[in-house]
Amino acid sequence: MKFELKVSARAAVLGLAAASVLATAATAGPIEDRQQAMKNVGKAMGQLAAIAKKEAAFDAAVVKAAGESIAENAKVFKVNFPEDSKDGPPETWAKAEIWANMDDFNMKADKSVEAAMAMAAVTDEANFGAAMGALGGSCKACHEDYRRPKE
Amino acid sequence: MKRAIAALIMLAGTAGAAGWISAAPEPRPAATMAAHAADVENGKRLYTASGCLSCHLPAKDNKEADRSLPSGGMALHTPAGTFYPPNITPDPETGIGGWSDIDFINAVKLGISPDGRHYLPAFPYTSYSQMSDADVLDIKAYMDTLTPVKAANREPDLPLGLPVEAVMRRGLGLWKMAAFEPVSFQPDASKDDVWNLGAYLVTGPGHCGECHTPRNAVMAMDEGRRLAGGPHPEGVGNVPSLRSLKARGRYKDVNDLATALEFGETLGYDKMSSGGMGAVQTNMSKLPPEDRIAIATYLMSLE
Repeated sequence: MKFELKVSARAAVLGLAAASVLATAATAGPIEDRQQAMKNVGKAMGQLAAIAKKEAAFDAAVVKAAGESIAENAKVFKVNFPEDSKDGPPETWAKAEIWANMDDFNMKADKSVEAAMAMAAVTDEANFGAAMGALGGSCKACHEDYRRPKE
Repeated sequence: MKRAIAALIMLAGTAGAAGWISAAPEPRPAATMAAHAADVENGKRLYTASGCLSCHLPAKDNKEADRSLPSGGMALHTPAGTFYPPNITPDPETGIGGWSDIDFINAVKLGISPDGRHYLPAFPYTSYSQMSDADVLDIKAYMDTLTPVKAANREPDLPLGLPVEAVMRRGLGLWKMAAFEPVSFQPDASKDDVWNLGAYLVTGPGHCGECHTPRNAVMAMDEGRRLAGGPHPEGVGNVPSLRSLKARGRYKDVNDLATALEFGETLGYDKMSSGGMGAVQTNMSKLPPEDRIAIATYLMSLE
């Protein structure tokens, strides 16, 4: 009995350790985190773009989930560009202008969150186009000034 | 661009007095222009396609200025120095209101100012030279309708303490001898009109090659690698290739690219914003749909 307890206690400790390793892997650093957040935004934007391009039918549930996902991930942008994350590794496409204009950068991040929440609240196709324009426009406004061309 | 300066200095050193004299600007005389009835609407379209406003914007910190007018002053940072594109509103004193038609053609197609200076090639006359006189004069006719703005021009800040006056009167002329051959756009008879319109818009007014075509040793666009991508002219990052767009999975077809040019990130096309492309895409969105289709037709055809 005692032995079994010990084993399970050890297993629990090992389990915790494993969990913390996993957690570390998920939050390896601000560059990884923000790149993952961008990927999540890109995935949700893809769903919305398909609707905008009439490749997929308007579906309020999809729009709500995508909008919420973008809002959630875009919130991360305000905390994942600390001073010490200007350069990688991993390779980053963030421009130095971000840190020289942090107020403007944060304001643009806020605008994306707002536009994404507005998108999540869209329940009919009539209001979808304008919400898409505002949301995509907020991505563009930030990328124009603060992202290096990739490739 | 650093190499351009090195090339320039080398050329300046070896060319000697003869070169120095022949490096003086040689503008076209007015007699070389055919009579032309201006089409202001076409001028507006090509002013937009050429992206004139995108570079001739007022300085970012100039809060009073009307940003819909090309009154100039916005800093353009490149490894070859910082340039402040001039006021090109029709103000007679500080803008181009006093310019004749041939003045405008010499500036846009040959990079020569009315007072006999060479313009820095940050002004893409190296591409605009491909445009027809008629289209360039239409652009002027449209620009003459803009509200004149009084805004004084600012000289460039050149690196290595290079003297602005000597560089602009002669030095750039040496660079032009080595790297600038004004040629008119030649349509390809084996292709249809849509393709040729696209090729013209991309090569001439659109001046896509200025960023998307890599440069050779004298910093001229390397036509053998046309639109194949390369280092970004501002020195950060790389400009993507515009070749094999379909094979590389960038765009499905001509309509897909035309849609991307029209809507950019508002439809989730996230390659249309960075490195100056955002302003280009905004300009493209204002063109007639058939121009976007033509541009996309030409670009998607590049292997």
